[in-house]
Amino acid sequence: MEDKVLSLKNLTMSYSGKNVLNGINLDVYRGQIIGYIGPNGAGKSTTLKIMLGLIDNYEGTVEILGKDISKSGYTYKERIGYVPENAEIYDNLTAAEYLTFIGELYGLDREVARKKALHLLIEFDMEHVFHSRISSFSKGMRQKVLIVSSLLHNPDVIFLDEPLSGLDANSVMIIKDMLEALANKGKTIFYSSHIMDVVEKISNRIVLLVDGEIKADGSFEELKAESQKGSLESIFNQLTGFDEHKETAEHIVSIVTEDTYD
Amino acid sequence: MIENGLLKVLDPFRSIFRKFNIDYDMMRLILQMKLTMDARRVPTILSQSKKKEGNQFIKGLWIYGLYGLILIPFFFLGDNLMLQASLITGIAMFILGTSMISDFSSVILDVRDKIILNTKPIDSRTINAAKVMHVSIYLTLITGAFITIPAIVLLFVNGFFYFVIFIIEIILLDIFILAITSLAYILILRLFDGEKLKDMINYVQIMLAIGMVIGYQIIIRVYDVVGFELIYHFSWWHLLIPPLWFGAPFELLLNQDYSLGIILLSILAIIVPIVSIFAYYVSMPSFERNLQKLMEESKKSKKRNKNLGQLLERLLCFSKEERAFYRFASIMISRERDFKLKVYPSLGMGLIFPLIFLYNNLGYQSFEALSESKSYLTIYFCNIIIGVVVFMLQYSGKYKGAWVFYTTPIKKHSIIYSATLKAFFVKLYLPILFILSIVYVWIFSFRIIPDLIVILFSGIILMLISYKMFSVAKIPFTEPIESAQQGGGSSVKIILLMILVGIFATIHFAISTITFGIYVYLFILVIVSIVLWKIIFR
Repeated sequence: MEDKVLSLKNLTMSYSGKNVLNGINLDVYRGQIIGYIGPNGAGKSTTLKIMLGLIDNYEGTVEILGKDISKSGYTYKERIGYVPENAEIYDNLTAAEYLTFIGELYGLDREVARKKALHLLIEFDMEHVFHSRISSFSKGMRQKVLIVSSLLHNPDVIFLDEPLSGLDANSVMIIKDMLEALANKGKTIFYSSHIMDVVEKISNRIVLLVDGEIKADGSFEELKAESQKGSLESIFNQLTGFDEHKETAEHIVSIVTEDTYD
Repeated sequence: MIENGLLKVLDPFRSIFRKFNIDYDMMRLILQMKLTMDARRVPTILSQSKKKEGNQFIKGLWIYGLYGLILIPFFFLGDNLMLQASLITGIAMFILGTSMISDFSSVILDVRDKIILNTKPIDSRTINAAKVMHVSIYLTLITGAFITIPAIVLLFVNGFFYFVIFIIEIILLDIFILAITSLAYILILRLFDGEKLKDMINYVQIMLAIGMVIGYQIIIRVYDVVGFELIYHFSWWHLLIPPLWFGAPFELLLNQDYSLGIILLSILAIIVPIVSIFAYYVSMPSFERNLQKLMEESKKSKKRNKNLGQLLERLLCFSKEERAFYRFASIMISRERDFKLKVYPSLGMGLIFPLIFLYNNLGYQSFEALSESKSYLTIYFCNIIIGVVVFMLQYSGKYKGAWVFYTTPIKKHSIIYSATLKAFFVKLYLPILFILSIVYVWIFSFRIIPDLIVILFSGIILMLISYKMFSVAKIPFTEPIESAQQGGGSSVKIILLMILVGIFATIHFAISTITFGIYVYLFILVIVSIVLWKIIFR
């Protein structure tokens, strides 16, 4: 259980002079489900992009599966699955074409990729649209295609950026249980989301990022004991130093209904 | 499918790609997907136009076949081989180069699929190679369409040997164009950041486009007229003019001219394309890395002094709604990257063409004679861009945002287009006409002011006609920019519009011989513009 899968050492990143990540240190072990949370603009997506090799002018070291990704080249990506945040997808391909293509990019055989994709989509009740273009899909269907595309090659580490967006309640339950089962098989899951009660339920470790720094790191129980709050949502509010939601909401409503703006 | 055939042609070169550390199978796979997607470009769901399937690009190739016919007269031009060959390669370079710059820059600089491809276990070199091959395939097809007829004519007129040299040269020329354009982008991607970078890309495009035009113009000037003969004398600066490099091998091999200058130029024709494509190969990984910069959001946006802009806005737009769309369109025109990539090279041409034709006239008359003449009509060449840009106004890289036009309570949808046309006219066309006007008034004195106003109004009429001819989309910026790679149909329309510009110029010329005719003409044009505008945006 103690295999280190992912290790960030003093990870710093700045865009045009402004620091987005301020020295992040994080070790992740096999079988963990990390809930990576934080307010908008805290640097969550940037961290994911760095780990996937989309950004490489960072400082510090990133080791994935024991290899420094700045030195090991692109091959480490063979063992990673990724669901991006805003569903980037070639939507003028059919689900079959897209998934086969992605499978092949991960080095799978064409026929293997196609079959596996079909079997996975059957589980999501999507076999009837296997040969339809993704552009005709609803948001939830696209999201399922993206999730399937990240799993085809049986990855050891899975990065998910808001994977549940657009999914209905039943599908959310499937994904939650699926992630748990994958973790039990020794997969490591790195999960970033804003939906606190989902993170609370599925993660066995929660990492809170605020302004490019880790503010809290531990299991839900540990965080709860520390902050003496009942839900992850209120822990989140407390740790990000936000307690004015009521006032802000009232301000918003008064601005919306104000007549003097004409 | 044509796409698969194209890929089969590549297969024999598998081992060459391997030698250059490119994963051939992976590259082929990516290419295949991209070609499949190109074939599936369909108009958006929002637009009501009929569905068109198939690769629009391939369907539009015939227009290049038409351009190719331009080359044929040059095969019969005099007996100066060097002049003939450098003019032919000059024109080829101009046509292929401008299409490369305006149609394929967006493919090379594409960052949209980075999240899909660069997160997969593929070497970035392979991803870039796929991109380059994607462009190369189209460039090859364009070249093929462009030279097939001329090459056949050439084979019969000038013989087999000439033909072989021609084919080899054209291949080198393509490599040169592809590599030089990409290297220019690599350089600015390395040098600049953020918003500056995005502006620089457009400037470089304009410069490249202008460079093509000027380079081609210089060719004719390196020849001395001795009696009725054009004689070529080498001087060192000719080494800087690519069409001359490509003209030299003909002279060298066919005329057995072994002078030092010709040999040097011929060597450049071979060495430079090879060296530049190699330089490109070496800098490929850093290119992909620096492309990331295009995805970064820049925080600052400078507040400009908007007094003049606001004044124009109030003068031109009559309702609150129209003003809002005018502002929106102005921002889209000046900020939307994909739109700028396609449109700005044409703007550069619009600026440079009148000046070049004016300069040509200086060749056979003195400056005094020129300033007395009617050569100011050359300014009509800048009106040619109107058709091209109005056509492009329907497209945007961010076409998906257009749903807001359908969900908001807009009274008259036609007002969006009228406001957009006004924004185009003020933000893109007027600055060019203004700069040209300063130069022209300096040369021709203030007597041409009424003529300039006539040109302005003929520009408005042309804009309205272009809009009527091109408007597939009911609302501007709502069609995906990828589908704008000039299909055959629109090229015909653009050529028709160019002829129309010619007609306007001819009428203007005829009118200007009548005393006070110009004022009557101006009055008529103003009335016609107003009436047309009212009819179209009723």
